[in-house]
Amino acid sequence: MKEYRFLVHEEGDSVGVVTSDLKAGETIIGKNLEKDIEYEIKVLEEIPLGNKVALKDIKEGEEIIEYGEKIGVATKPIKKGERVHVHNIKSIRWGGKVNE
Amino acid sequence: MNNKILGYIRENGKVGVRNHVLIIPVDDISNSAAIAVENIIHGTIAIPHHYGRLQFGRDLDLFFKTMIGTGSNPNVAAVIVVGIEPNWTNRIAQGIAETGKPVEAFYIEKNGELKTIEKMARSALKLVEYATGLKKEWVDFSELTISLKCGESDTTSGLASNRTVGRFVERFLEANGTVLFGETTELTGAEHIIAQRFKKEEDRNKFLKMFNDYQELIKEQGVDLLGSQPTEGNIAGGLSTIEEKALGNIQKIGNARIDSALDYCEQPVGKGLHFMNTSSAAAEAVTLFAATGAVIHLFPTGQGNIIGNPIEPVLKITANPKTVNYMSEHIDLDVSGLLKLDGTLDDYADKLWNKIVETANGKFVKAEILKHREFVLTKLFPSA
Repeated sequence: MKEYRFLVHEEGDSVGVVTSDLKAGETIIGKNLEKDIEYEIKVLEEIPLGNKVALKDIKEGEEIIEYGEKIGVATKPIKKGERVHVHNIKSIRWGGKVNE
Repeated sequence: MNNKILGYIRENGKVGVRNHVLIIPVDDISNSAAIAVENIIHGTIAIPHHYGRLQFGRDLDLFFKTMIGTGSNPNVAAVIVVGIEPNWTNRIAQGIAETGKPVEAFYIEKNGELKTIEKMARSALKLVEYATGLKKEWVDFSELTISLKCGESDTTSGLASNRTVGRFVERFLEANGTVLFGETTELTGAEHIIAQRFKKEEDRNKFLKMFNDYQELIKEQGVDLLGSQPTEGNIAGGLSTIEEKALGNIQKIGNARIDSALDYCEQPVGKGLHFMNTSSAAAEAVTLFAATGAVIHLFPTGQGNIIGNPIEPVLKITANPKTVNYMSEHIDLDVSGLLKLDGTLDDYADKLWNKIVETANGKFVKAEILKHREFVLTKLFPSA
Protein backbone atom coordinates (compact mmCIF):
# COMPACT_ATOMS: atom_id res chain seq x y z
CA MET A 1 0.00 0.00 0.00
CA LYS A 2 1.21 3.50 -0.83
CA GLU A 3 1.99 5.84 2.00
CA TYR A 4 -0.25 8.87 1.58
CA ARG A 5 0.92 11.83 3.70
CA PHE A 6 -2.02 14.15 3.01
CA LEU A 7 -5.68 13.89 2.00
CA VAL A 8 -7.87 16.14 -0.15
CA HIS A 9 -11.62 16.50 0.48
CA GLU A 10 -12.84 17.51 -3.00
CA GLU A 11 -11.49 17.78 -6.51
CA GLY A 12 -10.52 21.42 -7.09
CA ASP A 13 -9.58 22.13 -3.44
CA SER A 14 -6.58 24.45 -3.11
CA VAL A 15 -5.36 22.77 0.09
CA GLY A 16 -4.76 19.24 1.37
CA VAL A 17 -4.80 18.12 5.02
CA VAL A 18 -1.50 16.71 6.25
CA THR A 19 -1.89 13.35 8.03
CA SER A 20 1.64 12.97 9.41
CA ASP A 21 4.34 15.49 10.40
CA LEU A 22 6.21 16.73 7.29
CA LYS A 23 9.76 18.09 6.91
CA ALA A 24 10.98 20.69 4.43
CA GLY A 25 12.30 19.20 1.20
CA GLU A 26 10.31 15.95 1.29
CA THR A 27 8.42 14.97 -1.85
CA ILE A 28 5.17 13.31 -0.80
CA ILE A 29 2.01 11.92 -2.31
CA GLY A 30 -1.58 12.51 -1.25
CA LYS A 31 -4.98 11.23 -2.27
CA ASN A 32 -8.49 12.49 -2.82
CA LEU A 33 -10.81 11.12 -0.09
CA GLU A 34 -13.51 9.83 -2.42
CA LYS A 35 -12.03 9.72 -5.91
CA ASP A 36 -9.06 7.93 -7.43
CA ILE A 37 -6.95 11.08 -7.78
CA GLU A 38 -3.36 11.30 -6.52
CA TYR A 39 -1.27 14.41 -5.92
CA GLU A 40 2.50 14.88 -5.61
CA ILE A 41 3.96 17.83 -3.71
CA LYS A 42 7.43 19.02 -2.78
CA VAL A 43 7.13 20.27 0.82
CA LEU A 44 8.74 23.71 1.28
CA GLU A 45 8.62 23.96 5.09
CA GLU A 46 7.90 21.92 8.20
CA ILE A 47 4.14 21.15 8.40
CA PRO A 48 2.68 19.35 11.44
CA LEU A 49 -0.08 16.72 11.27
CA GLY A 50 -3.50 18.35 10.86
CA ASN A 51 -2.19 21.53 9.19
CA LYS A 52 -2.84 22.21 5.54
CA VAL A 53 -0.49 22.22 2.56
CA ALA A 54 -1.06 24.42 -0.52
CA LEU A 55 -1.72 22.31 -3.62
CA LYS A 56 -1.04 25.27 -5.95
CA ASP A 57 0.40 28.79 -5.90
CA ILE A 58 -2.17 31.10 -4.28
CA LYS A 59 -2.28 34.92 -4.68
CA GLU A 60 -2.96 37.39 -1.89
CA GLY A 61 -6.74 38.02 -1.76
CA GLU A 62 -7.54 34.68 -3.43
CA GLU A 63 -10.18 32.41 -1.88
CA ILE A 64 -9.00 29.19 -0.22
CA ILE A 65 -11.09 26.17 -1.21
CA GLU A 66 -11.52 23.06 0.96
CA TYR A 67 -14.51 20.64 0.97
CA GLY A 68 -15.28 22.31 -2.39
CA GLU A 69 -16.29 25.43 -0.38
CA LYS A 70 -14.68 28.75 0.59
CA ILE A 71 -12.94 28.44 3.96
CA GLY A 72 -11.13 31.80 3.90
CA VAL A 73 -8.91 34.14 1.94
CA ALA A 74 -5.11 34.35 1.55
CA THR A 75 -3.64 37.34 3.46
CA LYS A 76 -0.31 36.95 1.61
CA PRO A 77 0.95 34.99 -1.40
CA ILE A 78 1.29 31.24 -0.68
CA LYS A 79 3.49 28.91 -2.75
CA LYS A 80 2.58 25.35 -3.65
CA GLY A 81 4.06 23.14 -0.88
CA GLU A 82 3.85 25.80 1.85
CA ARG A 83 1.93 25.51 5.09
CA VAL A 84 -1.56 27.11 5.05
CA HIS A 85 -2.86 28.26 8.43
CA VAL A 86 -3.83 31.35 10.48
CA HIS A 87 -0.57 33.13 9.57
CA ASN A 88 -1.53 33.34 5.88
CA ILE A 89 -5.32 32.90 5.63
CA LYS A 90 -8.32 34.57 7.30
CA SER A 91 -12.06 33.91 7.67
CA ILE A 92 -14.09 35.70 4.97
CA ARG A 93 -17.11 35.76 7.27
CA TRP A 94 -15.18 37.61 9.93
CA GLY A 95 -13.11 40.24 8.19
CA GLY A 96 -11.11 38.60 5.38
CA LYS A 97 -11.12 40.65 2.14
CA VAL A 98 -11.37 38.84 -1.19
CA ASN A 99 -9.92 40.50 -4.35
CA GLU A 100 -12.58 40.74 -7.01
CA MET B 1 -25.51 -5.55 11.92
CA ASN B 2 -26.88 -6.15 15.39
CA ASN B 3 -30.28 -4.47 15.51
CA LYS B 4 -31.43 -5.47 18.99
CA ILE B 5 -30.27 -4.08 22.31
CA LEU B 6 -31.14 -4.71 25.94
CA GLY B 7 -32.81 -1.55 27.23
CA TYR B 8 -35.17 -0.30 29.90
CA ILE B 9 -38.68 0.33 28.58
CA ARG B 10 -40.03 3.17 30.72
CA GLU B 11 -43.65 3.74 31.79
CA ASN B 12 -44.24 6.07 28.79
CA GLY B 13 -42.77 3.57 26.30
CA LYS B 14 -39.46 5.41 25.81
CA VAL B 15 -36.29 3.30 25.85
CA GLY B 16 -33.32 4.01 28.10
CA VAL B 17 -29.89 2.39 28.34
CA ARG B 18 -29.02 3.43 31.91
CA ASN B 19 -31.00 3.18 35.11
CA HIS B 20 -30.18 6.18 37.25
CA VAL B 21 -31.84 7.32 40.45
CA LEU B 22 -31.36 11.03 39.96
CA ILE B 23 -31.29 13.71 42.66
CA ILE B 24 -32.20 17.09 41.17
CA PRO B 25 -31.53 20.25 43.18
CA VAL B 26 -33.97 22.95 42.09
CA ASP B 27 -31.61 25.77 43.02
CA ASP B 28 -27.97 26.50 43.86
CA ILE B 29 -28.59 26.43 47.62
CA SER B 30 -30.03 22.90 47.50
CA ASN B 31 -26.88 21.42 45.93
CA SER B 32 -25.45 20.54 49.35
CA ALA B 33 -28.42 18.37 50.32
CA ALA B 34 -28.42 16.62 46.92
CA ILE B 35 -24.68 15.86 47.14
CA ALA B 36 -25.01 14.66 50.76
CA VAL B 37 -27.59 12.05 49.75
CA GLU B 38 -25.52 10.92 46.76
CA ASN B 39 -22.62 10.35 49.17
CA ILE B 40 -24.54 8.02 51.50
CA ILE B 41 -26.89 6.19 49.13
CA HIS B 42 -25.29 3.88 46.57
CA GLY B 43 -26.76 4.08 43.07
CA THR B 44 -27.80 7.74 43.16
CA ILE B 45 -26.43 10.65 41.13
CA ALA B 46 -26.84 14.32 42.12
CA ILE B 47 -26.69 17.05 39.46
CA PRO B 48 -25.53 20.23 41.18
CA HIS B 49 -25.73 23.49 39.18
CA HIS B 50 -25.51 27.23 39.74
CA TYR B 51 -28.99 28.55 38.98
CA GLY B 52 -32.68 28.23 39.82
CA ARG B 53 -33.18 31.53 41.65
CA LEU B 54 -34.70 34.75 40.29
CA GLN B 55 -34.77 33.62 36.67
CA PHE B 56 -37.69 34.93 34.60
CA GLY B 57 -39.36 34.91 31.18
CA ARG B 58 -37.84 32.73 28.42
CA ASP B 59 -34.82 32.03 30.58
CA LEU B 60 -37.00 30.61 33.36
CA ASP B 61 -39.03 28.57 30.84
CA LEU B 62 -35.83 27.02 29.52
CA PHE B 63 -34.72 26.30 33.09
CA PHE B 64 -37.92 24.35 33.81
CA LYS B 65 -37.77 22.54 30.45
CA THR B 66 -34.17 21.50 31.12
CA MET B 67 -34.81 20.26 34.67
CA ILE B 68 -38.07 18.47 33.78
CA GLY B 69 -36.50 17.07 30.58
CA THR B 70 -33.48 15.76 32.46
CA GLY B 71 -35.64 13.96 35.02
CA SER B 72 -37.89 12.64 32.24
CA ASN B 73 -34.97 11.17 30.22
CA PRO B 74 -35.48 7.40 29.76
CA ASN B 75 -32.00 6.73 31.20
CA VAL B 76 -33.49 7.82 34.54
CA ALA B 77 -35.54 5.27 36.54
CA ALA B 78 -36.66 7.45 39.45
CA VAL B 79 -36.13 10.99 40.71
CA ILE B 80 -35.80 12.96 43.92
CA VAL B 81 -36.31 16.72 43.58
CA VAL B 82 -35.09 19.00 46.35
CA GLY B 83 -35.54 22.76 46.56
CA ILE B 84 -35.59 25.54 49.09
CA GLU B 85 -39.35 26.12 48.70
CA PRO B 86 -42.32 24.01 47.55
CA ASN B 87 -43.61 25.95 44.53
CA TRP B 88 -40.85 25.52 41.91
CA THR B 89 -39.88 22.16 43.46
CA ASN B 90 -43.38 20.78 42.89
CA ARG B 91 -43.53 22.24 39.39
CA ILE B 92 -40.42 20.25 38.40
CA ALA B 93 -41.52 17.08 40.24
CA GLN B 94 -44.97 17.17 38.64
CA GLY B 95 -43.49 17.74 35.18
CA ILE B 96 -41.31 14.64 35.55
CA ALA B 97 -44.14 12.59 37.11
CA GLU B 98 -46.09 12.92 33.83
CA THR B 99 -43.77 10.26 32.40
CA GLY B 100 -45.19 7.83 34.99
CA LYS B 101 -41.87 7.23 36.75
CA PRO B 102 -41.58 7.53 40.58
CA VAL B 103 -40.75 11.09 41.68
CA GLU B 104 -40.51 12.47 45.23
CA ALA B 105 -40.16 16.12 46.22
CA PHE B 106 -38.57 17.66 49.33
CA TYR B 107 -38.32 21.26 50.61
CA ILE B 108 -35.70 22.64 52.93
CA GLU B 109 -37.65 25.66 54.26
CA LYS B 110 -39.36 24.96 57.61
CA ASN B 111 -37.41 21.65 57.84
CA GLY B 112 -33.74 22.58 57.79
CA GLU B 113 -31.14 20.83 55.69
CA LEU B 114 -30.28 17.94 58.05
CA LYS B 115 -33.85 16.74 58.52
CA THR B 116 -34.39 17.07 54.74
CA ILE B 117 -31.30 15.00 54.00
CA GLU B 118 -32.58 12.21 56.27
CA LYS B 119 -35.99 12.17 54.57
CA MET B 120 -34.37 12.23 51.10
CA ALA B 121 -31.95 9.44 52.00
CA ARG B 122 -34.76 7.18 53.25
CA SER B 123 -36.68 7.86 50.04
CA ALA B 124 -33.56 7.31 47.87
CA LEU B 125 -32.95 3.94 49.53
CA LYS B 126 -36.40 2.73 48.46
CA LEU B 127 -36.03 4.17 44.95
CA VAL B 128 -32.69 2.40 44.44
CA GLU B 129 -34.28 -0.89 45.55
CA TYR B 130 -37.06 -0.26 43.03
CA ALA B 131 -34.72 0.75 40.17
CA THR B 132 -32.27 -2.11 40.58
CA GLY B 133 -35.19 -4.54 40.50
CA LEU B 134 -36.20 -3.42 37.00
CA LYS B 135 -35.41 -5.86 34.18
CA LYS B 136 -33.88 -5.01 30.83
CA GLU B 137 -35.73 -6.13 27.72
CA TRP B 138 -34.77 -6.75 24.09
CA VAL B 139 -35.79 -3.78 21.97
CA ASP B 140 -34.99 -2.52 18.51
CA PHE B 141 -31.81 -0.41 18.33
CA SER B 142 -33.77 2.23 16.42
CA GLU B 143 -35.86 2.99 19.54
CA LEU B 144 -32.89 4.97 20.87
CA THR B 145 -32.41 8.71 20.51
CA ILE B 146 -28.77 9.54 19.79
CA SER B 147 -27.24 13.02 20.02
CA LEU B 148 -24.21 14.49 18.22
CA LYS B 149 -21.71 17.19 19.16
CA CYS B 150 -17.98 17.33 18.55
CA GLY B 151 -15.36 19.22 20.53
CA GLU B 152 -11.70 20.24 20.54
CA SER B 153 -12.03 19.52 16.86
CA ASP B 154 -9.16 19.59 14.44
CA THR B 155 -8.77 18.79 10.78
CA THR B 156 -8.75 15.04 11.54
CA SER B 157 -12.39 15.47 12.71
CA GLY B 158 -13.54 16.60 9.27
CA LEU B 159 -11.38 13.97 7.55
CA ALA B 160 -12.33 10.94 9.61
CA SER B 161 -14.08 10.95 13.03
CA ASN B 162 -16.98 13.23 12.03
CA ARG B 163 -17.30 11.40 8.71
CA THR B 164 -17.48 8.06 10.55
CA VAL B 165 -20.32 9.47 12.67
CA GLY B 166 -21.94 10.81 9.48
CA ARG B 167 -21.94 7.41 7.81
CA PHE B 168 -23.34 5.83 10.99
CA VAL B 169 -26.09 8.51 11.12
CA GLU B 170 -27.12 7.82 7.50
CA ARG B 171 -27.55 4.13 8.35
CA PHE B 172 -29.20 4.68 11.74
CA LEU B 173 -31.78 6.95 10.07
CA GLU B 174 -32.41 4.30 7.39
CA ALA B 175 -33.10 1.92 10.29
CA ASN B 176 -35.70 4.45 11.56
CA GLY B 177 -33.68 5.86 14.47
CA THR B 178 -33.81 9.35 16.00
CA VAL B 179 -30.83 11.75 15.99
CA LEU B 180 -30.39 15.24 17.48
CA PHE B 181 -27.67 17.71 16.45
CA GLY B 182 -27.16 21.45 16.99
CA GLU B 183 -24.21 23.84 17.60
CA THR B 184 -25.84 26.89 16.01
CA THR B 185 -22.76 29.15 15.94
CA GLU B 186 -20.45 26.41 14.72
CA LEU B 187 -22.44 26.15 11.50
CA THR B 188 -21.19 29.60 10.44
CA GLY B 189 -19.87 29.22 6.89
CA ALA B 190 -21.81 25.98 6.31
CA GLU B 191 -25.30 27.21 7.26
CA HIS B 192 -26.29 27.31 3.56
CA ILE B 193 -25.62 23.57 3.28
CA ILE B 194 -27.63 22.78 6.43
CA ALA B 195 -30.48 25.06 5.26
CA GLN B 196 -30.73 23.09 1.98
CA ARG B 197 -31.09 19.81 3.86
CA PHE B 198 -34.41 20.60 5.60
CA LYS B 199 -37.28 18.58 4.18
CA LYS B 200 -39.81 21.34 4.90
CA GLU B 201 -39.67 25.04 4.07
CA GLU B 202 -41.08 26.08 7.48
CA ASP B 203 -38.25 24.27 9.28
CA ARG B 204 -35.67 25.84 6.95
CA ASN B 205 -37.02 29.29 7.80
CA LYS B 206 -37.14 28.50 11.52
CA PHE B 207 -33.52 27.31 11.38
CA LEU B 208 -32.37 30.42 9.50
CA LYS B 209 -34.15 32.66 11.99
CA MET B 210 -32.41 30.97 14.95
CA PHE B 211 -29.08 31.14 13.12
CA ASN B 212 -29.49 34.81 12.14
CA ASP B 213 -30.75 35.83 15.59
CA TYR B 214 -27.49 34.59 17.05
CA GLN B 215 -25.43 36.38 14.41
CA GLU B 216 -27.33 39.59 15.33
CA LEU B 217 -26.61 39.02 19.03
CA ILE B 218 -22.90 38.86 18.21
CA LYS B 219 -23.09 42.04 16.11
CA GLU B 220 -25.04 43.88 18.86
CA GLN B 221 -22.05 43.30 21.12
CA GLY B 222 -19.93 45.09 18.51
CA VAL B 223 -17.65 42.06 18.08
CA ASP B 224 -17.12 38.95 16.02
CA LEU B 225 -16.17 35.54 17.37
CA LEU B 226 -12.56 35.65 16.20
CA GLY B 227 -10.54 34.56 19.22
CA SER B 228 -13.38 32.29 20.39
CA GLN B 229 -14.05 30.54 17.09
CA PRO B 230 -11.97 28.65 16.16
CA THR B 231 -10.73 28.01 19.72
CA GLU B 232 -7.03 27.86 20.64
CA GLY B 233 -7.35 24.04 20.66
CA ASN B 234 -8.88 24.05 17.18
CA ILE B 235 -6.07 26.26 15.84
CA ALA B 236 -3.40 24.05 17.45
CA GLY B 237 -5.02 21.17 15.57
CA GLY B 238 -4.78 22.94 12.21
CA LEU B 239 -8.24 24.52 11.86
CA SER B 240 -7.75 28.06 10.48
CA THR B 241 -11.22 29.64 10.15
CA ILE B 242 -14.81 29.27 11.38
CA GLU B 243 -15.82 28.28 7.83
CA GLU B 244 -13.37 25.36 7.84
CA LYS B 245 -14.49 24.31 11.31
CA ALA B 246 -18.17 24.41 10.27
CA LEU B 247 -17.59 22.38 7.09
CA GLY B 248 -15.84 19.73 9.20
CA ASN B 249 -18.59 19.89 11.82
CA ILE B 250 -21.44 19.13 9.40
CA GLN B 251 -19.75 15.91 8.26
CA LYS B 252 -21.39 14.43 11.38
CA ILE B 253 -24.78 14.20 9.63
CA GLY B 254 -23.36 12.68 6.45
CA ASN B 255 -25.67 13.30 3.51
CA ALA B 256 -28.82 12.97 5.60
CA ARG B 257 -31.81 15.27 5.23
CA ILE B 258 -33.28 17.03 8.26
CA ASP B 259 -36.80 16.41 9.55
CA SER B 260 -37.26 19.43 11.79
CA ALA B 261 -35.77 22.53 13.41
CA LEU B 262 -36.24 22.72 17.19
CA ASP B 263 -35.58 25.53 19.64
CA TYR B 264 -33.79 24.81 22.96
CA CYS B 265 -35.24 21.66 24.58
CA GLU B 266 -38.21 21.49 22.20
CA GLN B 267 -39.35 17.87 21.86
CA PRO B 268 -39.05 16.39 18.35
CA VAL B 269 -42.24 15.09 16.78
CA GLY B 270 -41.52 11.70 15.24
CA LYS B 271 -38.25 9.96 14.50
CA GLY B 272 -35.54 11.07 12.07
CA LEU B 273 -32.88 13.78 12.17
CA HIS B 274 -33.59 16.98 14.08
CA PHE B 275 -31.59 20.19 14.38
CA MET B 276 -31.83 21.80 17.82
CA ASN B 277 -30.70 25.33 18.65
CA THR B 278 -27.81 24.95 21.12
CA SER B 279 -24.65 26.65 22.22
CA SER B 280 -21.48 25.15 20.78
CA ALA B 281 -20.01 24.78 24.29
CA ALA B 282 -19.85 21.02 24.79
CA ALA B 283 -21.36 20.65 28.26
CA GLU B 284 -24.20 23.10 27.57
CA ALA B 285 -25.11 21.35 24.32
CA VAL B 286 -24.95 17.79 25.71
CA THR B 287 -27.03 18.87 28.76
CA LEU B 288 -29.72 20.22 26.37
CA PHE B 289 -29.66 17.04 24.23
CA ALA B 290 -30.04 14.83 27.32
CA ALA B 291 -32.91 17.04 28.52
CA THR B 292 -34.57 16.51 25.13
CA GLY B 293 -34.45 12.73 25.49
CA ALA B 294 -31.13 11.61 23.97
CA VAL B 295 -29.82 8.43 25.65
CA ILE B 296 -26.39 8.04 24.00
CA HIS B 297 -24.15 10.86 22.83
CA LEU B 298 -21.53 10.54 20.05
CA PHE B 299 -18.64 12.92 20.61
CA PRO B 300 -15.93 13.03 17.94
CA THR B 301 -12.84 14.91 19.09
CA GLY B 302 -9.54 15.91 17.51
CA GLN B 303 -7.29 17.37 20.19
CA GLY B 304 -9.15 15.56 23.00
CA ASN B 305 -12.18 17.04 24.77
CA ILE B 306 -12.88 15.06 27.98
CA ILE B 307 -16.55 15.92 28.62
CA GLY B 308 -19.14 13.57 30.14
CA ASN B 309 -22.76 13.91 31.26
CA PRO B 310 -24.48 12.62 34.44
CA ILE B 311 -27.22 10.66 32.65
CA GLU B 312 -26.17 10.21 29.02
CA PRO B 313 -23.08 8.11 28.15
CA VAL B 314 -20.75 10.34 26.05
CA LEU B 315 -18.85 8.12 23.60
CA LYS B 316 -15.58 9.61 22.31
CA ILE B 317 -14.25 8.98 18.84
CA THR B 318 -10.97 10.33 17.53
CA ALA B 319 -8.94 10.03 14.35
CA ASN B 320 -5.92 11.93 15.69
CA PRO B 321 -3.18 9.36 16.38
CA LYS B 322 -1.45 11.75 18.82
CA THR B 323 -4.64 12.07 20.86
CA VAL B 324 -5.09 8.28 20.87
CA ASN B 325 -1.57 8.08 22.27
CA TYR B 326 -1.65 10.89 24.85
CA MET B 327 -5.29 10.65 25.99
CA SER B 328 -6.17 6.96 25.73
CA GLU B 329 -8.18 7.01 28.98
CA HIS B 330 -10.73 9.29 27.30
CA ILE B 331 -11.07 7.64 23.89
CA ASP B 332 -13.66 4.91 23.25
CA LEU B 333 -13.09 4.42 19.53
CA ASP B 334 -9.89 5.01 17.55
CA VAL B 335 -10.56 5.68 13.85
CA SER B 336 -7.07 7.03 13.07
CA GLY B 337 -6.59 4.20 10.54
CA LEU B 338 -8.85 6.19 8.22
CA LEU B 339 -6.15 8.87 7.88
CA LYS B 340 -3.93 6.22 6.28
CA LEU B 341 -6.89 4.97 4.21
CA ASP B 342 -6.50 1.68 6.07
CA GLY B 343 -10.09 0.39 5.65
CA THR B 344 -13.19 2.11 4.28
CA LEU B 345 -15.56 4.59 5.89
CA ASP B 346 -18.15 1.78 6.02
CA ASP B 347 -15.73 -0.41 7.99
CA TYR B 348 -15.34 2.31 10.61
CA ALA B 349 -19.07 3.04 10.71
CA ASP B 350 -19.55 -0.71 11.46
CA LYS B 351 -17.12 -0.42 14.36
CA LEU B 352 -19.02 2.58 15.69
CA TRP B 353 -22.35 0.79 15.32
CA ASN B 354 -21.02 -2.15 17.38
CA LYS B 355 -19.55 0.19 19.97
CA ILE B 356 -22.92 1.94 20.43
CA VAL B 357 -24.72 -1.40 20.78
CA GLU B 358 -22.17 -2.46 23.44
CA THR B 359 -22.69 0.86 25.25
CA ALA B 360 -26.46 0.50 25.04
CA ASN B 361 -26.22 -3.01 26.50
CA GLY B 362 -24.48 -1.62 29.57
CA LYS B 363 -20.74 -1.39 28.95
CA PHE B 364 -19.49 1.90 30.41
CA VAL B 365 -17.84 4.50 28.19
CA LYS B 366 -14.62 6.10 29.44
CA ALA B 367 -16.36 9.32 30.55
CA GLU B 368 -18.66 7.28 32.84
CA ILE B 369 -15.73 5.34 34.34
CA LEU B 370 -13.90 8.63 34.94
CA LYS B 371 -17.06 10.09 36.59
CA HIS B 372 -17.24 12.98 34.14
CA ARG B 373 -20.70 14.38 34.93
CA GLU B 374 -20.78 17.90 33.51
CA PHE B 375 -24.32 19.26 33.90
CA VAL B 376 -24.39 22.83 32.60
CA LEU B 377 -27.53 24.90 32.16
CA THR B 378 -27.92 27.24 29.19
CA LYS B 379 -28.63 30.76 30.44
CA LEU B 380 -30.38 33.10 27.96
CA PHE B 381 -29.92 36.34 29.92
CA PRO B 382 -29.00 37.59 33.44
CA SER B 383 -31.20 36.75 36.42
CA ALA B 384 -33.35 39.43 38.06
